[in-house]
Amino acid sequence: MRIAVCRPQVPFAHGGAEIFTDTLVAELRARGHEAEIVSVPFKWYPGARVLTQAFTWRLLDLTESDGKPIDLVVATKFPSYAVRHPEKRVWLVHQFRQAYELDRTDLGQFGESPEDRAIRRQVQELDRVALGEARRLFATSGNVAGRLERSTGLVAEVLPHPAQALDYHDEGHGDFILSVNRLDRAKRVDLLIEAAALEPSLQVVVVGEGPDGDRLRGLVADRGVDDRVRFAGRVDADELARLYATCFASFYAPVDEDFGLGPYESFLSGKPVVTATDAGGPLDVVHDGSTGRVVAPEAAEVASAAVWLRDHPAEAVAFGRAGKAIAVEVTWDRAIGRLLA
Amino acid sequence: MPPERSGIADYSALLLPALRARCEIVTVKRGARRPPRGTDLSVYHIGNDPVAHGWIVDALRRTAGLVVLHDFVLHHLVSGITLGRGNGKAYLDALERDAGLPARLLGYAVMEKRIPPLWENRPEDFPLAGEVLGLATGLIVHSRYVHDRARAYGFTGPIWIVPHPAFPVPELPAAEVGGEPLFASFGNVNASKRIPQLLEAFARVRPERDAARLLLVGATSPGFDLDRRLQRLGLDDAGLVREGYVHENRLWQLMMAADVHVNLRSPTMGETSGTAIRALSLGKPLIVSDVGWFSELPADVALRVPVDEHEVETLVAALELLTTRPDVRTAMGAAARELALREHDLGQVAELYVAAFEQAAGGGAVGDAVLREVSEAAADVGIAPGSAAASEIAERLGEVGLGG
Repeated sequence: MRIAVCRPQVPFAHGGAEIFTDTLVAELRARGHEAEIVSVPFKWYPGARVLTQAFTWRLLDLTESDGKPIDLVVATKFPSYAVRHPEKRVWLVHQFRQAYELDRTDLGQFGESPEDRAIRRQVQELDRVALGEARRLFATSGNVAGRLERSTGLVAEVLPHPAQALDYHDEGHGDFILSVNRLDRAKRVDLLIEAAALEPSLQVVVVGEGPDGDRLRGLVADRGVDDRVRFAGRVDADELARLYATCFASFYAPVDEDFGLGPYESFLSGKPVVTATDAGGPLDVVHDGSTGRVVAPEAAEVASAAVWLRDHPAEAVAFGRAGKAIAVEVTWDRAIGRLLA
Repeated sequence: MPPERSGIADYSALLLPALRARCEIVTVKRGARRPPRGTDLSVYHIGNDPVAHGWIVDALRRTAGLVVLHDFVLHHLVSGITLGRGNGKAYLDALERDAGLPARLLGYAVMEKRIPPLWENRPEDFPLAGEVLGLATGLIVHSRYVHDRARAYGFTGPIWIVPHPAFPVPELPAAEVGGEPLFASFGNVNASKRIPQLLEAFARVRPERDAARLLLVGATSPGFDLDRRLQRLGLDDAGLVREGYVHENRLWQLMMAADVHVNLRSPTMGETSGTAIRALSLGKPLIVSDVGWFSELPADVALRVPVDEHEVETLVAALELLTTRPDVRTAMGAAARELALREHDLGQVAELYVAAFEQAAGGGAVGDAVLREVSEAAADVGIAPGSAAASEIAERLGEVGLGG
């Protein structure tokens, strides 16, 4: 089958959605399909630019390429799903969140002028049309599917995508808790640092870099926990697998995350996850007292949950095993099978 | 707004607090000449009553805006604000705009009292919605039916379909009426509520189902001889319970007492029935006429009776079914309640209103901005206005609601 995987591209930015679509194309090719990324640059400001940029997708003709039909398109995130195709599948990573739950928050984009309010509504209208015409509609998590249903009334099947390929293994119940995430305020790594400040026996390793890195390093110095919170920066695949294998649990508690691969990677290493009640996507698989600990997004709660897992190795191992049983079910074979069915 | 007594006044009173929780609203009272300073959008609630809505049309004439069209047929309203104000020419013009010169001639005949008033006999044939639609920059309607009629009438502006909100059910005891089951019809007792057909159908059902009762609540319209009909059908001494106009609490109590709400209508003016919405809020099964908005009620909530030569027979079958099958009544009632929660939730309706307000207030400027940028880009690469490529761009823009 010839398949076009559609994704918007923010020039000079590369993140989870890009990794996801690149991997999807590779996995489709590995199964004998002819697959290709179709990408259009995306700039969402100022004013109505978000709409004209979205409209660009609407003008694309992806029914065939060089005289040969394209059998199916898979669109992923706003505004790539505005593309037209008789066999349009959407595997929704997220909508344009500024037009929805982020509106009128610090992360929002639209002001109170009639024009801004109308642009926001028009984005919603475009979503209703473009997502509504998809032959099949999938969402990467229950959180994304829930937002979609609340905002448009459209129902998506939840289809999580598999974690990156790593040499996942388990070297036993270690003595530190691991955070693997981009250092960004929304990822709330500071909760874990504050937890370490409250609990003098807690050891932490933080993997990742990002715009919040300097502030977080400053926070560590300020709280005097340099000796127990180690920033590992970006690490290679082998080192990442080793860190997962040797921790006692991982911490993954962003604010209202779309999906969140972290818990799957942790589970595949047999390690439970500490998350927060408002984390969004991770709550699909992190269940309190079953695959990890789900606590209020407060440092004391995080500290208490982390120490409990560290001090109850039998339970932590059992939670990790239960998580692994969930994570191993999420495979590319199954995901692609459902996507193309 | 209350204390005016109309369904639309009740509707506005119900909706306004929910809207105010979401955006800034200034209500304009009778006699105001201009919208208050600083408002981004003028919104006009228009129904078919010249006394309640004539002044609102006057305001719409001064400042165009978004019209909440509660009825599609506005003949009564228009006759009231033209003939009723001594302006026969305006009435004739409205008729001619609707249906050409023959309609104008009919208007002359009405004015000379040679034929009965059209607003009493044939309003649905001459909706006279032209002026209001011509002044409206956008429409909020409550049904697909009115949406389609407005489009068929030539309205090209944006239309938002916003369901009628469900009423909060007061905590009151049900009235003690009796009847197993109790059928009830609420509203004016007259021919357009299909009361003659309902009475005839009930009279046919009752001999075999003597525990069944029919409750009629509402004022009897002038000229409608209810007593004589009841006498002729043998319903004058048993089976029928009659209450005239009742106040709000008593209305709710009677509605609670009913097992099945019968809400028939023909002709329809395109209205949404507030009493049918109350029935949904109460989780009551409905029997309705298969016309207008009523046709859009799901089959698991309402038995729809076509208005045709078999109307009475179909009504008999509906009454029989709901008399003998309490399980069907229960299932339909549950579906009605679920529908009220799903489609008519007040907060959700208010959200849809605010979405429409925001699009109506700023949508024009946004559409212009998008069109300007797209047309400039098209012109830059040599796509001429009117060319096939330009037409395709316009079509694609239209698909996603960006004009074109």
